[in-house]
Amino acid sequence: MIGLLLYLLVGAGLLVFLWLLARRKGAPVEGCGRQFVEARQALRTLQLGLLPENLIERIFDREDFRYVMAASPANIREFFLRERKRISLMWVRRVRCEIRNLMQFHLGYSRLHAKLSLLAEIRLALDFGLLLLACRALRILLYMRGPYGAGAVVGVLTAAAGRVCAASEKSLAFLNPPALESFRRDSAGDGATI
Amino acid sequence: MLSSLLWPAGLLLEFALLARSVQTKTFTKYIYFYAYISCVFIVSVGLFIGHSRTEFYEAWYWPTQFATLAIGFGVVLEVVRQALAAYPGAERFAWRASCAVFVVTFCYVEWHVASRSEWSTVAATVELERDLRVIEALVLATVLAIVFYYHIEIGKNVTGMIVGFGAYVGVSLTTLALRSFLGPGFNAVWGDLQTASYFFALIVWTVALWSYSPNPAPPSTERGNGGYDALVRGTRAQLESVRSNLRGVAGS
Repeated sequence: MIGLLLYLLVGAGLLVFLWLLARRKGAPVEGCGRQFVEARQALRTLQLGLLPENLIERIFDREDFRYVMAASPANIREFFLRERKRISLMWVRRVRCEIRNLMQFHLGYSRLHAKLSLLAEIRLALDFGLLLLACRALRILLYMRGPYGAGAVVGVLTAAAGRVCAASEKSLAFLNPPALESFRRDSAGDGATI
Repeated sequence: MLSSLLWPAGLLLEFALLARSVQTKTFTKYIYFYAYISCVFIVSVGLFIGHSRTEFYEAWYWPTQFATLAIGFGVVLEVVRQALAAYPGAERFAWRASCAVFVVTFCYVEWHVASRSEWSTVAATVELERDLRVIEALVLATVLAIVFYYHIEIGKNVTGMIVGFGAYVGVSLTTLALRSFLGPGFNAVWGDLQTASYFFALIVWTVALWSYSPNPAPPSTERGNGGYDALVRGTRAQLESVRSNLRGVAGS
């Protein structure tokens, strides 16, 4: 009986795939130079704008919450929680959007790459999948439990996003002009950041 | 009843498909696919001519069925070759994943057959066909998953090949699994469903392969000026950002 179910599942699965293929409209044209630049920007936004530790601490820090709860009237507390929830949801939405941009770039680029590694691709696909799933779970948790009810998911999300950023950084290394890189290294010593 | 109506109609469609492939010179472009159609056509014509002689039909049905089943793998090869040829990365992924699927399924089937206590030739024949269909179905599903995952655009010809062959394999697999479970009582329905699904595949192939429609060429970063221009624009934007940062530092 289990064998029959397995065979039926494979047959039905294939027919579903065919139905999806028949319904599919033209796939987007990808892989052009503009996409590389957009991916680079997505990576920068993630690394410098959305994933820095101090920003995440700022959004999800419980100290702010404790302070407002202890020292403010009820309407201010409500306003604080509402605003913090709005900001955290906005943060998740932006992270998800940039991850999708990176994923689109990676797929558009790697499919043309003759030396593609099966293991690396599977690992990256799992990372992307996990990230997008974590974003969705985080949004649901933030809606249901407010901005301070999803600490563990935020941790998972930022760790996986860091891994994906590191992998993408290698793919996009050729977009860093060498002169700018050396300039960046030289200027980091006296505190000026580029 | 249904089978006896669809059989001659199917022969006509196969002939039309082959004639059209010669006329449009697509025979050499999809060589494995048309080799499969040619084999099926020759076998079908032979069986159709001799089907009134029961001995002849019974002696030749299963051997020819297995021959066409084995050549059917050529369609899967053609799909992988055509759909992913312009994407070396995705093609490499597909070959490796397909080999893994083939080895795992084959080992599972061998183990399953070896662990059986009873043995009957008819049942074993049906099960062998079913197991080969499982491998075809899984390899096709793997290729389709890769096509979806990497957003690969495929042309009308290859889409038709996949939809037609996939529908035939999917229906065959399902009905063969049900036949193994329900026994010879299901034979009449099984025969009609198999013939109808193959006829459906022939209609899809005839429509999709009526004229040559190659896969769209993938975009390339090296091709044309568009890619390079975008790269230059991006670099300029980065430089402008550096300049404005420097102005900010100098002004403070």
